[in-house]
Amino acid sequence: MSGTHSSSALPAPIARLWESLRERSRSKRALLLMAPLLVFELLLFVAPFLILLRISLTDGSQDLRYAPGTWSISGYGEVFTTDVLLNAITYSIKLGLLATAITVVIATFYAYAIWRSEGLVKSALLFSVILPLLTTLVIKTYAFMPLLSPNGTLNDVLLSLNLISEPIQFVPGTVGVVVGQVYIVLPYAVLAIYSVLATMDWGIVEAARDLGASRPRSVLEVVVPQAMPGIIVATVISFAWSVGAYAAPGLLGDGQNKARAFALVVEEQLLTNLQWEVATAYAVVMLLLMVVSIVLLTATLNYFGGEFEYA
Amino acid sequence: MHREQFENALFRAGYLAILVFMLLPLAVVVVTSFAESGNLAFPPESYSLVHYRAFFEQTRWLSAFDNSLLVGVGTTIVATTLGVTAAFGHEIDDGRAGQVLAPLVLVPLLIPPIILGISMRVYFVRAGLEASYLSIVLAHTLWATPLVYFVMRSVFSRFDWQLLDAAKDLGAGPIRSFVYAVLPNVKHGIFVGALLAFIISLQEFVMALFLSSRSTETIPVVAWTQIRQSLDPMVSVVSTFLIVISLIAIVIATIATNLDWLSKQLS
Repeated sequence: MSGTHSSSALPAPIARLWESLRERSRSKRALLLMAPLLVFELLLFVAPFLILLRISLTDGSQDLRYAPGTWSISGYGEVFTTDVLLNAITYSIKLGLLATAITVVIATFYAYAIWRSEGLVKSALLFSVILPLLTTLVIKTYAFMPLLSPNGTLNDVLLSLNLISEPIQFVPGTVGVVVGQVYIVLPYAVLAIYSVLATMDWGIVEAARDLGASRPRSVLEVVVPQAMPGIIVATVISFAWSVGAYAAPGLLGDGQNKARAFALVVEEQLLTNLQWEVATAYAVVMLLLMVVSIVLLTATLNYFGGEFEYA
Repeated sequence: MHREQFENALFRAGYLAILVFMLLPLAVVVVTSFAESGNLAFPPESYSLVHYRAFFEQTRWLSAFDNSLLVGVGTTIVATTLGVTAAFGHEIDDGRAGQVLAPLVLVPLLIPPIILGISMRVYFVRAGLEASYLSIVLAHTLWATPLVYFVMRSVFSRFDWQLLDAAKDLGAGPIRSFVYAVLPNVKHGIFVGALLAFIISLQEFVMALFLSSRSTETIPVVAWTQIRQSLDPMVSVVSTFLIVISLIAIVIATIATNLDWLSKQLS
């Protein structure tokens, strides 16, 4: 922009050359500023993944964690033939789907409530999302133990109200894992949807209501389709993190054979069994399954998101 | 009319229930830290400060505190430097490098920390950086930088670039014009970005678990190992400290900007 004064006095070809030189130095400077982060990402994100992939393609070794320099797909073979590993994948994907479904429904409702509220209520609701978001996973899962264990608060309340006759074991168990995982991902999902809703015009919803739509219908048919980009981000985040969940299944799960999450089994392969080629192949398989599921989930949501508008 | 009132009541009950669900677990942690007995129960039968006193006598917790602080400060410095410079570069010129950078920076956030932790552990063992502070700082930077980067892009996009051009026309060099024309307008953003980077590092646990040793373990890692052995209100004490630190950070960030803007940045 500042180049216009100086270049206007010059003949046209020279001015053009001057501008292009200026542009080039500008983008060179921009590149120089972006270079450190690019290098960092290459060294600490791309390179580790390539090495992970490479190790997953080596042969097993008796006395080392893997046999460097060899090529083999025995790690992958092991993943697809070992029941423990396959069960954990099934369990984690089920956990991911369940936790995501619950999270996205609650998050959409809560984001809508934040969007519609004002003043102190709005601040309180936003605060209730940000504080857990900035709290460590360990605390978030640990807090459910005194609440959900057989002699915990919830069971005490249910027993004293005579709603149940003997304590229910939510924790350790899959119920506890799902509750804990929903609690972990909910703040991220709420904010993803809220940030999209915040750009939306309330007038459209009012118009729908003036035209006779009931309130639940106006939300379902006007708000939800508009919020779809946020809902999709919320789904992707919730699913990716729940499939890879470590803390909730580790602390709140019962660890029985068929109810062990992927994260716990892969940790065991890596740190206890010291079979790196299996552990890395397992991680690669899980990552691929996750990406495929996310693509399918997103496509489904897009499909239904489009449907709502015409319903 | 009745139907509308009923709907309103239902709506309010719905979001209040979620509000309780969001804050109750944290309240449980804070309240149990004041319990007198050694059993974890909510609500506790009687209250005291015994566990706080005991906390300050345990060297493992205290050294974990030092480790967390060291890793947190390291992450903040690296992530803020990388994030601010890259966001500034991206705003100057939205070329091909920027188009590669934005998704590349974002992807690590979508990969489960367990998988990142594994790939980093394997990588650092090969690089001979196993169980060093540096490995944890670098891993946390991978998570903290995207936040700084996106906060700063949002801040720079609202910055009036003619100020920078004016400074240059008046003869200031690139560094001087950045310090005098840009910095005063974006310092709140940088501060909030740095604060978020610190909190993320302080609270991160899965990658730290895979990358730390007994001498470099951070608070969440010690808390995790303790909980797995026995449930003891000491963990509640430490958790209360962590919650209070996050609380203070939110208050400071809200004063520097506002809560609504902060929430949009975190998504």
